[in-house]
Amino acid sequence: MAIIFYISSAVAVLSTVMVITRMNAVHALLYLIVSLLSVAVIFFTLGAPFIGALEVIIYAGAIMVLFVFVMMMLNMGKKAAELESSWVNPRMYVGPAILAAILGIELVYMLASGSNRAAGFEMVGPKAVGIGLYSSYLVGLELAGMLLLAGLVGAFHLGRRDED
Amino acid sequence: MAAEDFTALMPLIILAAAALVVLLQSAIKRSHGTALILTCLGLAAAFVSMFYAADELPRQVTALLIIDSYALFFTGLILFAAFAVAIFGYNYLNLYLENREEFYIVLLLASLGSSVLVSSNHFMSFFLGLEILTVSLYVMIGYMRKDHFSLEAGIKYLILAAASSAFLLFGMALLYAETGTMEFNGIANAIGGLVEVKGIYILAGTALFLVGAGFKLAVAPFHMWTPDVYEGAPAPVTAFVATVSKGAMAALLLRYFIAVDGFEYTTILLALSIIAVASMFLGNILALMQKNVKRILAYSSIAHLGYILVAFIAGGERAVEAVSLYLVVYFVTTLGAFGIISLLADQEGEKFMLESYRGMFWRRPWISLAFSGMLLSLAGVPLTAGFIGKFFVLLAGVGTALWTLVIILVITSAIGLYYYIKIIATMFSRVELEAEQKPGALPVAGSTVLAGLTILLLYFGIYPVHLIRLIRDMVLAIS
Repeated sequence: MAIIFYISSAVAVLSTVMVITRMNAVHALLYLIVSLLSVAVIFFTLGAPFIGALEVIIYAGAIMVLFVFVMMMLNMGKKAAELESSWVNPRMYVGPAILAAILGIELVYMLASGSNRAAGFEMVGPKAVGIGLYSSYLVGLELAGMLLLAGLVGAFHLGRRDED
Repeated sequence: MAAEDFTALMPLIILAAAALVVLLQSAIKRSHGTALILTCLGLAAAFVSMFYAADELPRQVTALLIIDSYALFFTGLILFAAFAVAIFGYNYLNLYLENREEFYIVLLLASLGSSVLVSSNHFMSFFLGLEILTVSLYVMIGYMRKDHFSLEAGIKYLILAAASSAFLLFGMALLYAETGTMEFNGIANAIGGLVEVKGIYILAGTALFLVGAGFKLAVAPFHMWTPDVYEGAPAPVTAFVATVSKGAMAALLLRYFIAVDGFEYTTILLALSIIAVASMFLGNILALMQKNVKRILAYSSIAHLGYILVAFIAGGERAVEAVSLYLVVYFVTTLGAFGIISLLADQEGEKFMLESYRGMFWRRPWISLAFSGMLLSLAGVPLTAGFIGKFFVLLAGVGTALWTLVIILVITSAIGLYYYIKIIATMFSRVELEAEQKPGALPVAGSTVLAGLTILLLYFGIYPVHLIRLIRDMVLAIS
């Protein structure tokens, strides 16, 4: 089962390299989604399905969809519409699609064979994560909250539009 | 968590609560003065609560934080520096910006992050504390968002700090892979238990760990960001970057190295020695060529961290004592020097070119004398605190027979003297005074803090016994 870990790691590295080398932001974002999905698969192979699911829902789902929306809404107008249709040609989505398909095959294989703790670790379910977060790592959880607060205040200050 | 845990954590809890109070207060009604007062009250309350926390020492709060006298000593130092930065920042922000209150929120959060750093003995709290500090610093450095230099400095710091965090995380991952624990004591046990200590994972992990730490300390190969960020950041923030973020990382590094007995590890010590030598030479020599006071101080701070590393490499009790003492002295002096630059700022901007200091003594004698004192202390001239700091660093170096490092320290200090004296000479040079050139009065609060720092500088320089005793009582507990 270690082979699954290595394949998804390779997909993660490859897609991340593609993210930073793409000139078009939307193309880069597509690869970034694949990169996050592959990290989620790595979490599955390491026996942390809950974190893997969160990775898919929060990063690849919510945050990335938000990114893509913002990106598309910033380019409004006729010219942008033409630009957008030029983005949606097979050449640009075939790469991410192939990588995502590899991850999908891995996932199906893992589910079918029923052994999703490839690396030989104990499986950590949602309950264990919750108990850990609110008991032994409570201080860490609060600190993470403070970290987000600092980011929020900073984004508010730096991204604020002047009234005049 | 038991009640005692909360008592021990009280300084951190109060800091976090103070940030929230300032946030809520400015959400209801923006008022710069109220934000400053609340910030200072919060810092003072956190300081007072340390005396209550001191009853519970040493206390391990969950697996993440250890509150011992070492942590409290550095937390106190951080609170003191944050207080000075808040006062200097008040004068400075009054000149320039509309949105001033957010500054105090991120300042309090940055102090919280650095206090977590000095109290952590677990990689997780280490990283969380570091990120709270770093994210707050991005905001503080780019705070003057209409000023291109400030934004440029903010973006440079953002990219490089993020990259260094990646190095640090990978280093931690390697150490975790080898030892199976993220607690400092656990790592020490695991390394001690291995027959083959020089495992490649441990070596590579520690090296990457040092890259991340070295970035924060701004020592030689990782120093590229320092001059630009120091120059672009608002002067009070520069004071914070130069003191708190470096001091907290140095304190953590020392705790880690003592916990895992890293001083036994010759390869790492060799790497640290090379870093120290490079920092001392590069910092002092590059500072010679600058005409911008903020950049001179930036390069000089690289050199100062090199000196601290010399004491660090010595290892043992002497290292802990010398590093702590040097950090206290460096905090006082650097806060004073950047405090003066922020007090001298006026509507036209900061005065950071050397030329604008020409003949300043004849216009503003007191502040020029204070600045001269700070610079002489940075140079390590006797009767100033800097001399005592350097003396203890040399003592630690000589005590462990680190002759090469000690000799290089002395040579580079002599080089350093030249550019400090150059600033002082510029300030005292005679210029023709124009009759109407009457400088405006300096802000009262900032000048009071500055006077306090100058008195501390002389006090530590002339009669350091109290400081040394305090350090021996509080800091040596970890070694």
